[in-house]
Amino acid sequence: MILHILNRSPLDSRVYRQALTAMGPDDRLLLIEEGVQGALPQMVRHFEGLDGRLFALREDLIARGLEGRCADGVLVIDVEGFVTLTEEADKSVSWF
Amino acid sequence: MRYALLVQGGPYSHQATHSALRFAEALIRRGHHLETVFFYHDGVYNAARLLAPPQDEPHLGDAWRRLHDEHGTRLQVCIAAGLRRGLLDEREASRHGKAGGSLEAPFELTGLGQLVDAGLSHDRLITFAP
Repeated sequence: MILHILNRSPLDSRVYRQALTAMGPDDRLLLIEEGVQGALPQMVRHFEGLDGRLFALREDLIARGLEGRCADGVLVIDVEGFVTLTEEADKSVSWF
Repeated sequence: MRYALLVQGGPYSHQATHSALRFAEALIRRGHHLETVFFYHDGVYNAARLLAPPQDEPHLGDAWRRLHDEHGTRLQVCIAAGLRRGLLDEREASRHGKAGGSLEAPFELTGLGQLVDAGLSHDRLITFAP
């Protein structure tokens, strides 16, 4: 399993499409930095099909005033959870 | 686990450095070892000797130095990216006829081969980009 890390909002960059194309069926996607915008209800449609595999970093949500505003199904984790995801993945790929 | 981080974003211009430092502290709290941080592209500015941010703002260069001092983390800077951006240690400065270096220990100028080596020899390599 590969952890994909995305730091761009779907509004700002289309790199998320490359990430989705590259993802295998068990891979996970973590939204960090501006990427957490993708966890909002009006944006999460870009990531459909990732049930249980879409994560967003709590610290970056808080920094943007977005904590508690994520769509259902987005798994919000803190930075310790980020480390755990890297432990569980064989490797990680950063998309930017 | 043995971790390496790759930092490609410049300090104070992108969040990459802040994200990398926060991740570094968290992985150490979880009992892992942060053995290497490799600075590449504009990330090499993290190694500038003369960084002087306002005192009420985080000093990102000192934060990296602290990781080295307290945990033995190696701070490796891509020499090709560094020289292009004016980041030279004393040896490179004199080799290029410049007065004074702009990079000093614990940061070290290394080749890109060290990044490849970090990817092969560590359990995890995590990239923080601009």
